Order: sequence, then C-alpha cells, then structure tokens
Amino acid sequence: MIKEEVQGATEEEQQQAQSKKALKKQQKEAEKAAKKAEKQAKQAADQQTTEEDDFAKDRYGVSAMLQSQQKLNRALVKVQDLTVEKADQLLWVRARVHTSRAKGKQCFLVLRQQQFNVQALVAVGDRASKQMVKFAANITKESIVDVEAVVRRVEQKIESCSQQDVELHIERIFVISQAEPRLPLQLDDAVRPDGEGEEEGRATVNQDTRLDNRVIDLRTTTSQAVFRLQSGVCQLFRDTLTKKGFVEIQTPKIISAASEGGANVFTVSYFKTSAYLAQSPQLYKQMCICADFDKVFCVGPVFRAEDSNTHRHLTEFVGLDIEMAFNYHYHEVIESITDTMVQIFKGLRDNFQTEIQTVNKQFPSEPFKFLEPTLRLEFQEAVAMLREAGVEMGDEEDLSTPNEKLLGRLVKEKYDTDFYVLDKYPLAVRPFYTMPDPNNPKYSNSYDMFMRGEEILSGAQRIHDAELLTERAKHHQIDLEKIKAYIDSFRYGAPPHGGGGIGLERVCMLYLGLHNVRQTSMFPRDPKRLTP
Amino acid sequence: MAIRELSSLEKYLGLKKPNMYTTQGDKKVPVLQSNNFSPLVGLVTVACHLVKEAKRPDLLGDGAEGRAVVQQWLEYRVTKLDDCSKEDIRTILKELNAYLEDKVYFAGHQITLADIFMYYGTHSLIVDMSIQEREQFVNVTRWFDHVQHVRGLRHHLSLVSVLRNRIYTSRHH
Repeated sequence: MIKEEVQGATEEEQQQAQSKKALKKQQKEAEKAAKKAEKQAKQAADQQTTEEDDFAKDRYGVSAMLQSQQKLNRALVKVQDLTVEKADQLLWVRARVHTSRAKGKQCFLVLRQQQFNVQALVAVGDRASKQMVKFAANITKESIVDVEAVVRRVEQKIESCSQQDVELHIERIFVISQAEPRLPLQLDDAVRPDGEGEEEGRATVNQDTRLDNRVIDLRTTTSQAVFRLQSGVCQLFRDTLTKKGFVEIQTPKIISAASEGGANVFTVSYFKTSAYLAQSPQLYKQMCICADFDKVFCVGPVFRAEDSNTHRHLTEFVGLDIEMAFNYHYHEVIESITDTMVQIFKGLRDNFQTEIQTVNKQFPSEPFKFLEPTLRLEFQEAVAMLREAGVEMGDEEDLSTPNEKLLGRLVKEKYDTDFYVLDKYPLAVRPFYTMPDPNNPKYSNSYDMFMRGEEILSGAQRIHDAELLTERAKHHQIDLEKIKAYIDSFRYGAPPHGGGGIGLERVCMLYLGLHNVRQTSMFPRDPKRLTP
Repeated sequence: MAIRELSSLEKYLGLKKPNMYTTQGDKKVPVLQSNNFSPLVGLVTVACHLVKEAKRPDLLGDGAEGRAVVQQWLEYRVTKLDDCSKEDIRTILKELNAYLEDKVYFAGHQITLADIFMYYGTHSLIVDMSIQEREQFVNVTRWFDHVQHVRGLRHHLSLVSVLRNRIYTSRHH
C-alpha cells in the first residue's frame, strides 16, 4: 500500500513536471509562431516593395495555362539550330530546364530539347533584375520554358553541351509547364556509363526504376537516340522492300488457331468463344502469296506467351515479316532478305552516325560489321566449326543459346562479320510447314540469320503442296481440323514461296551492341511487366 | 586419382616394372611399399623417388634455385590446388595466369616434375572451363596445351581442344 502511494505521488509529481514542461513548450512554440508570422509578414511586405521596385517584372513569370488563347506569330527556334550562324540574333526558344545553377548575380541554365542542349545565362543587368535571376534559379528541373534570348558566341567551347560554340543571354523567361520539384530519377544518373558511376561514387539508375518511370527515362539522350534509330530501321525496311516491288499488308492479330504450336499463345475471350493473339502473321502472309500478291511484308505486333525472363525475350514485340514467291530456288528469298538487311545496316551507318555515337557513349560497343554478299554457312559446317572448338553435339541437334553465341564468335574471328545466315537446319527442329531438303530428308530448306551471335530471323521455304503439308502436319501430330483453312488455301494453285520474320527490338539491340531487349522497346512487355 | 597419376608418370619415365601402390587415410594418400626400404608416403615423395630411379634428376630442377622452385610448385599442387573449393578456383587460375605470363614452364626453360603434376592437377578444371574462360586465362591455357602435347605424358587424361585464335576480343556480351 505504502509503496503504491509513494508511486502515486511520484507519478503525480511527474505529471506536474510534465505539464510544466508542456506549458513551457507551448509558450515557446507560440513565440516561434508569432516570430514566424512576423517574419512572413515582413517578407511579404518586402516582396511587395521589391515587386514594385522590380523593373523587369514583365520579363519573367509563370504563364497562364496554355489553352490556345491566342495564336502568337512567334517563331520558336530549335536548339539544334543554335549555331554561330545565329550569333547576335534575338530569338525565342522553347526547351526544358535540364539543370540550373545560380552564382551570385548570375544564373546558368542548361536548356534541353530532345537530345540537344545549350547553355543559357540570366545575369543582373539592364535587361534582368535581381528578382528575375532568383526566379530563374528557382525553376524546377524538367520544367518547360519559353525564353527570349540573344545568341552569343563563346570563346571557350562548352564541353557539356551539344551546342558548344554559343550560349543564350536570356532577356525574358516564362514557365509554360512546371515540373514537380522531386523527380523519380535524375537524367544525368540515367545516362552514366556503367563503370563510371562507381569510381566517382555517383548513382546509376537500375533498369526497373527506368522502366517504371519510362516517360522520364525516354528523355535521356541515349533513349532519344535509340528510338530515333529504331524508327530508322522501320523506315529503311519499308523503303528497301517497296523498291523491290513488295506490297505492305495488314493482318489480323486476333486469330482462331495458334500458328506455331499451341503452347505459347495468349488466349483472349472472344464473345462466347475464345481466340488467340497472333504469334506471327505466318498464315496470312502465306495466304496473300496464294492470292497472287507475289511479294508482301508486314510490320506489326507479335505476341509470345513464353514465360521466359531473359535479356532477349518479350511477350509483345514488333515483327518485321517478309514472304515472297520465288522462281526456282529458295536462295532467291535468302538473297532478297539479306540484301534488305544489308541496306538497313548501310542506311543506319550512313544516316544515323550521331545516334550510334550517342548510344556508344553510354554503352560502348564495336561498330557493326557485315559482308557483301552476306556470308551463308550450312548447318553442317557450323556443327563442324563447333566440334573443332571442342563442343560436343549431335548432327540433328538444335543449337543451344551458348553454342549460338560461341558460333557467332567463331564466325566473327574467321570471316570478320557480325551478320550471317545459317542454312539447312535439321528438319526435326523446324515447324511442320518447313520444306524438306530434296537431297537429304534429314535436313530442310530453312535458315536463321544472326547478328552478333544472336538469332534475329527464322525463315524457310514453306510447303506449298496441300498433300505434303497434310503429311507433315500429321507427322507433327497437329489436329488437321484446326488448320483446315490453312491447308485448303494451297489446293487451288500455290506458287513456291518462302519468307521470314525479324524482331525489330532485337535488331536494334544487336546492331547497337546493347545487352537487354528492354532497352530497345519503348514500353516493354514481359511476364513480369504490364505497366507503364 | 593419385595412383593413376603415379602410374602415368612411371610410363612417361620409361620405368619397366610397374610398382604396386596402396592408399592411406580418408584423403587416399598414395603409399609405395618396397622390399628394399621402408614405405614411401605421399604423392610428391613417391614421385621424387621414381624420378631418381629413372635417373632423370633434370626433372627436379636446375641448380639450387630451380630445385627450390620445383619443390615449391609441387607443394602448391598438393596443398592449394588439391584442397581448393569452387570459389577458390578463379583466384588460383588468376594467380597461375599471372605467374605464367612470361614463362614456358613452371621452373626454368625445361619441363620439370612441377609441370607434370600441375598439369595432372589442373586437367579437371580446364575441362570444365568455357571457351571464354580459357581465353580469359590465356597463359594457363597456353601452358596447359603445351604440356598436354609433351610426348608420353597424357596417358589417362583426355585431350582438351584449345583454340589458337582469340575470339573474345571485343567488349560486348
């Protein structure tokens, strides 16, 4: 009892002490708040007076939201056009604030537009006030601004910018769109080459963070270059084939039966029944051949429901597909495809050097090498090369990924090319519609194409005879009912034909010597990623 | 394993009469029983004995320094190489690769017992290496290829095919 009382007393005391403390605290806080309010009031007053004093207050600010209020007759000059030729001109530029750095009476900005940037300067003088410099320094990174500025030649080259010979002396600056102050990732961190950050103790951004914030990651110089080059690949592909007399076709992606085996297709519900997402436009391009289109190509999405999380697999990618009728030998098709590829490589080499260099800065790789005409090896030769290097494999065994890569190395060493065709695959490892080799029934008229030791294209002469096609389908234990329409299309006269399909992302990745196909897919889809 | 190595060595040395060996302990240390002297225990001890019997003192090294180097690598073989764990392999290969950079053989300019037993000891490692790794440890691979082609040495071991050209010169992949 006594003990409890004592305890009670001490508790009370403690409480009292606590309340005293709390009271003091409150008092202090009140004082603080009062001080703060006073300060704020003073600041506001200051600001008011300074605003009144500010002679340049019309020269900067946050613009009202652009709702197409007026159609200004103002030319916006591109950052990449800011060269010495424009020296001493007063002009308008719209760009992002890449970085800003205030230093006393000056504020340096780096203004960025796509992969180009330029240094800009706001300095206190007769055009800009102190307040304007302060305002410029406080613009958040990645905000979009309109600036009116004079282009000035600089004596020393500005190494950190793409426009090295000039800088902008800002006379007016208006924020068009304000970015939130905290960015999920820093652009400079995202373009840092792998090893470099570690040495200086600086951050690099890992791939998942980049992909989670893809919109910002796509602004980096590297991403800009990658996807401009990718657009170039498509353009060159179309141009080359169109010149060769090909017709571009559009095929459905929702299909009723799986085209290449049933295992790796996405099933979608289709009203009261189900449908599949196309693994390739295979059937349709062949049907176009039977319908006398002679030479067709198709650029579009392709779906693979393979649950493989590797550096080179996506569940949705862009397929560049070719199918053509030939006269007497399927090598006519190979020649046509390899020539197209060579035209693409040449076009990239000649027209996209800036982009290639930009990507190389972050991801160094050797220039892509190819031969003309393209090297064609037969499967048996490849097996012999691998065996010579100490690899044990069977005659009719498919190439494993490590062996493919090794073969790529051996070919590069022997022939000095990063691009080659491997012809005459064993029949057993190819799909049912592949034409068997007339000289050796164990092999087939099929081929793969490789870039830097990785497969980019798989193709073959197709069976254009309904009887043989039925026989091969049976051999592969395929339900004939399901592919009836496909087989029937060859019953009414079908020309001999062949073709192949290329993965756009892989071509870009391997051409640039990148390590992951997600780097060349704008919004990659894989078993673990559906967003953004 | 050690017994097979010793009988391979006997054949290489051209000894007419094969010896009989037993092993001792968990680690299967080889033992040579003989009528003329007390039993000899241990790989290196028996090997040195065989070399003397075959009158090939050159295999034990040239001069005092050479002999010391040979002994040092024989000891390396039985202590470091034979006991190494999977994680140690790369460290060992790196070490050997650096050592062999300016050498044809482990000691001096001719083959010694050190090369023979380092060859027997590294064979299983080299077999498991990928072509890329063999190229990475190019000095080890060169020495290994050289020794495996020495007449009469290989016997119980398989021939490892070695590329003469470098194929992994560029940076990517």
